[in-house]
Amino acid sequence: MEAYNNFIKSKKTCKVSAYYEILDFLDSELTDVLSKIPKDIIERVEEIRLRNGKPLMINLGNKDYFISKNAELVSEPSNCVYINYKHIVKTFQLISNYSIYSIEEELKNGFVTVRGGHRVGVTGKAIYGINGLETIRDISSLNIRIAKEIIGVSDAIMEYIIRKPNTIYNTLLVSPPQCGKTTLLRDIIRNISNGMCDKKFHGIKVGVVDERSEIGGTYRGYPQNDVGVRTDIIDGCQKYEGIMLLLRSMSPNVIATDEIGDEKDIKAIHEAIKAGVKIISTVHGNGLDDILSKPKLKNIISEKVFERIILIDNSKGVGTIQDIVDGFSFKSVMR
Amino acid sequence: MFFIKVVGCLMIILSSSFLGFSYSRIYSERLKNLIYFQNCLQILETEIIYGANPLPDALKEVYCKGNKKVSYIFDEIREFLLNNKDLSVYDGFLHVVPELREVLCFKEQDIEIILSFGRSLGISNRTDQEKYFKVISVQLKGQQKEAEEEKMKNGKMYKSLGILIGFGIVLALY
Repeated sequence: MEAYNNFIKSKKTCKVSAYYEILDFLDSELTDVLSKIPKDIIERVEEIRLRNGKPLMINLGNKDYFISKNAELVSEPSNCVYINYKHIVKTFQLISNYSIYSIEEELKNGFVTVRGGHRVGVTGKAIYGINGLETIRDISSLNIRIAKEIIGVSDAIMEYIIRKPNTIYNTLLVSPPQCGKTTLLRDIIRNISNGMCDKKFHGIKVGVVDERSEIGGTYRGYPQNDVGVRTDIIDGCQKYEGIMLLLRSMSPNVIATDEIGDEKDIKAIHEAIKAGVKIISTVHGNGLDDILSKPKLKNIISEKVFERIILIDNSKGVGTIQDIVDGFSFKSVMR
Repeated sequence: MFFIKVVGCLMIILSSSFLGFSYSRIYSERLKNLIYFQNCLQILETEIIYGANPLPDALKEVYCKGNKKVSYIFDEIREFLLNNKDLSVYDGFLHVVPELREVLCFKEQDIEIILSFGRSLGISNRTDQEKYFKVISVQLKGQQKEAEEEKMKNGKMYKSLGILIGFGIVLALY
């Protein structure tokens, strides 16, 4: 049984259908307008923003637009669709599936993951209880982020991550916000977990600590994004606890997590390395010098825990791979 | 001639007692349905407080686990919610009011209680929801007690009234 089923091909997802999926969660008046937007724009929509008393806005390619009553994208807020409280309440009702109690815990973190792995950020009046933030009331803004799963985005860089024989380098992805860090991480996880036929790399077990439900977009126990067949996700769990839990329970070969930075996270990474588990993670930062100037990260970089550092930026569109450097010599390994 | 008279009398007695019985049936039906309804609410409470199941799923569970005679109401609310995304849970409850009144024989007071519960279902966190369940449970217990008393009093009364009026008409005609 030398793992003939080891290389699993993933099917491509349709971005237009993801957009229509989101429309199901919006107030019907807004759905009417938003469904009339031209197809080529729909493909690029990243966020839909609802703010009480303010115009309806969509974000695409780091720019935002108002929407006129005839569903045209305009840059002036005259004659455009305005959001009222009713829109917000109805939309929130649909997002919560008529049951605030079922999203109680998620609401404490300020966002809700809905079917399809899309995330909805929520702000309003914060209500405190004995155990800190209890709930959010009188919702004022909703930010609907359409999950951008881009399958195959990491294929080109996998050769720098894969290490013979059949394992990977400890890898750190460095990028400023909104540059596609998480999208890239997710696809790397998928490739490691599924295996890559052309690179003769057999899939290995990956444990994912998905603190903000961004990697898997888990909805009721099902990851909505393709994260591979050998992937176990602990959803909504803090990184330290999550890593320790995975080490104890799931015997992973690789642990993946998003946005390390805390001292505790770094402690957990040390534990994982001690247990012989490979680590793949991301961090906010503008290039190598920036992360070297952050005190906590500086330590872990100078300890040479990470063997590959991938630098991402926006220079040639979202998710440009600027450089891939060796974690020991800080020299580029890109060919 | 005599034969026709006897048959006519019997028919009068039978039909008036039938009327009496069906009147008294309303009271026993209401009591029974109130009890079933409370059972359904208990299932819903478990689904919500311990399972944190989203409302449509919770309602489906209630429909499956509860007594179908009453629990179909919850399935109707669920269907209503899924088909009318612009309307609220309260509207779902309003939608089933005719059923509550005519099929389940609930009184206006019972319906008021159920509607006010419908207004608060799903709109807050679990500790809060638990309180609403407590409130409606106490209120419906009260209604159940009242329904029991009414059934004892009026149920019997209508039954005997039906038979007696039947005999009365027969005597008057004879």
